[in-house]
Amino acid sequence: MIKAQHLKVKLSGKTILSDLSFEAHPGQVTSIVGPNGSGKTTLLRAMTGDLAYTGRVEINGLDMQGQKPWELATVRGVLPQASALAFPFSVVEVVNIGLQGGRSGQSETVASAALSRVGLAGYAHRPYQELSGGEQQRVQLARVLAQIWHPVEDGEARWLFLDEPVSALDISHQLQVMNIARDFADQGGGVVAVMHDLNLTAMFSDKMVLMANGQIKAAGPVVEVLTNDHLSSAYGCSVAVNQTPNGSVPFILPQAAVA
Amino acid sequence: MTFFNLNRRGLIAACAAIWGATLGVPSAQADAADTLSIGGTVTEIVYALGQGHRLRARDTTSVYPPEATELPDVGYIRALSPEGVLSVGASLIISDEGARPVEAVDVIRAADVNFVEVPQGYTIEALSRKIRIIGEALDVDATAEALISDVTKDIEEATAVAQASIDEPKRVMFLLSARGGKLTAAGRGTGPDAIIRLAGGINAVTAFEGYKPIASEATLAAAPDLILMMQRGGDHGANADELFEIPALALTPAAKTKALETMEPLLVTGFGPRTGDAVRHLSQILYGN
Amino acid sequence: MTLAIDADLVPVDRLSRARKLHLLLLALLIFVSLGSLTTGATGVALLDVLWKLVQGQELSQVERIVLFDIRIPRLAMGLMVGASLAVAGAVMQGLFRNPLADPGIVGVSAGAGLGAIMSIVLGGLLPLAILESVGRHLTPIAAFFGGWVTTILLYRVSTRHGRTSVATMLLAGIAIGALSGAATGVLTYIANDAQLRDMTFWGMGSLAGASWGKLAVAGPIMLISMGGVMFMGRGLNALALGEATAHHIGIEVQKLKNLAILAVAASVGAAVAVSGGIGFVGIVVPHLLRLGTGPDHRALLPNAALLGASLLVGADMIARVIIAPAELPIGIVMAILGAPVFLWILLRQRGVVDL
Repeated sequence: MIKAQHLKVKLSGKTILSDLSFEAHPGQVTSIVGPNGSGKTTLLRAMTGDLAYTGRVEINGLDMQGQKPWELATVRGVLPQASALAFPFSVVEVVNIGLQGGRSGQSETVASAALSRVGLAGYAHRPYQELSGGEQQRVQLARVLAQIWHPVEDGEARWLFLDEPVSALDISHQLQVMNIARDFADQGGGVVAVMHDLNLTAMFSDKMVLMANGQIKAAGPVVEVLTNDHLSSAYGCSVAVNQTPNGSVPFILPQAAVA
Repeated sequence: MTFFNLNRRGLIAACAAIWGATLGVPSAQADAADTLSIGGTVTEIVYALGQGHRLRARDTTSVYPPEATELPDVGYIRALSPEGVLSVGASLIISDEGARPVEAVDVIRAADVNFVEVPQGYTIEALSRKIRIIGEALDVDATAEALISDVTKDIEEATAVAQASIDEPKRVMFLLSARGGKLTAAGRGTGPDAIIRLAGGINAVTAFEGYKPIASEATLAAAPDLILMMQRGGDHGANADELFEIPALALTPAAKTKALETMEPLLVTGFGPRTGDAVRHLSQILYGN
Repeated sequence: MTLAIDADLVPVDRLSRARKLHLLLLALLIFVSLGSLTTGATGVALLDVLWKLVQGQELSQVERIVLFDIRIPRLAMGLMVGASLAVAGAVMQGLFRNPLADPGIVGVSAGAGLGAIMSIVLGGLLPLAILESVGRHLTPIAAFFGGWVTTILLYRVSTRHGRTSVATMLLAGIAIGALSGAATGVLTYIANDAQLRDMTFWGMGSLAGASWGKLAVAGPIMLISMGGVMFMGRGLNALALGEATAHHIGIEVQKLKNLAILAVAASVGAAVAVSGGIGFVGIVVPHLLRLGTGPDHRALLPNAALLGASLLVGADMIARVIIAPAELPIGIVMAILGAPVFLWILLRQRGVVDL
């Protein structure tokens, strides 16, 4: 389980999060949504150890402060929103960098399996820097998966932290990635994702956490959180849930994708 | 313009050699080439002692007499190559002070090469000392004494004549370089400084020692009547027109008559055996005796 | 969306190719070293000496001195300096995530240069007691000390709350470099002729001052630093993805930075102290290797050491022989040899190198 208590984060002197509590359970996909500036990425970054915080964050019962980076790397992987690569590594070389951190054992099989899972089989020896943004994002996901290959190890859940994992992807790949997250959770692992797209969130999450202005406005099952009131107050504009639009403008929902 | 008094110099050398020969200077079996000389003036003295045939090699600054330039060049005194110097095969090395790197000199000494250092100096005493040390190293002590005596007399004579012809002392500035309009001048304690003074002139630059860059205003304040420079092959030697276009120099007294004199490099900077010639020449330019 | 790919495929398993390159480069190193031992102005030949030793004959004094007091220490120093500079370059490029970083980017080169120049021009002002105890080693010691001072200064400036910002270090390094250049300018102004020459020659680098004494002090520093660096391959690979990701993968980023900066300051400081300013090796060698066998640091670092060593020793051979009995400063040889070759390789490479 991931548990954050009394979390306070300051950036450049400004308090972003204050006295925040957050929980995520293994076997579940927990999504954090909210408008820009709501503090959702800040919350994620505090939990992945990228930001200084006061309060307590526990992963699988252990206080994060007491853990070494390599210890944390064996129980959780982090997919950042954007990645730069300083040197001309190939796709599989990037995935292998992730392998070095985890405990996933034999490199070649895991690396190519990871690439297949994200739909990039055969891309192993392409230069990473020549891929499109979406393809690069999927390589990063493969890297993270290679690091945390088994959702459960030694009876303990492992965790995926995803920061807007599908923002750069087209619909088919968005569904593919979210399915990966879903599978991971179904096999006993835990997923915490910062999401932008409410529809995809609704499709794949067990639990939703809605944030605004550095506070958690609502947390719980999707149907409880995704209501007109919650959304309107968080996003500051009138939104209606479960309503088809008026007029003849076409609309597409990922929920309607034919599997 | 070079002033090269062949007769006088040749005469001194000949006298020294004959004197040495009549005194029965032991001509060692090692009259073979066994010596490396490092330093322009050192080389000049070796030749003046009639021992030029002893040289196997020399350094980059040894450009006089012209025969010396035909010898192999071991490079610059402060950047010697240890194996390169050893490869010359000299059993005797006569060098100016300051041979570097120190490790190279150590290795050379360890190879049982006689490494003789000659102290620097720009006075008659210093020159005499140089000649004596070099003569001793080459085993021609008597010739050396003769040379010292001749050179001393020569310089003293030239100085006396120069002093006698002064009506009003003239100010001279020696420029090592005027490249790009940047002037490097000779201050106190340099060869040119000594020669200027012996020739009855005043070194216009006394604010510092050695060769240093001199600022425009300092140049104007120095107010030289004559600019002295080294004669150089190629276009390094500034001709008078170009030189006096430089702003700092254009307003000096020297600029009025475009008074520029160039002399052979070792003659004007080295304070070697030909110093008397240098003094004579410069005083003639200054006071026309 | 898939890109229409016509890009070159990366050769399969570059890492194993890079590891095979270890052997090739080691062979090159041995070849160049033997060449260096048998080349020189005096014409002493290695085979002759070995033959004599095998026969139990005595070596002539020249042979003994040339081989044991000149060539062997010079070879050892050339190998270590070349390796140190190349490895330091690779480490700094990894740390700063920039293929253009040179080994001195943490301030070492600027500081060492300034220390050396100060010792050359102002050395006479030191109290006699210090001058006598330090003796001829004033310039190397001043250079080493100077390198440390600037590195520590840069580190302090760029480290807040236990976290070093490499971007700040880069910028501060530029400032320190400018300051050092200004100080050098002042010193140039007050230097006399001999000092100016010394400064110039120091800046161009030379292995002519190699001695067992210098090796005894500088050698262990360079070897230990390089040894430590060889373990940083994994960490530097991860760092290529950014510091946050490296941390997520389990690398202790600040510790890696500290050790890398320490190792580079020590090894480059020692290298520059004993051989003066030798440029070019630190940028070009890692770059050539990346172009050849990929950027994986686990193989890049050892290969850089081997290739840097060979390159410098090879250049030194040329420096010693080409204008014998004089010697060219090795920095010049490196530049003349390396720059055109590097340009040619870059031009041959398809496409542009991405930064």
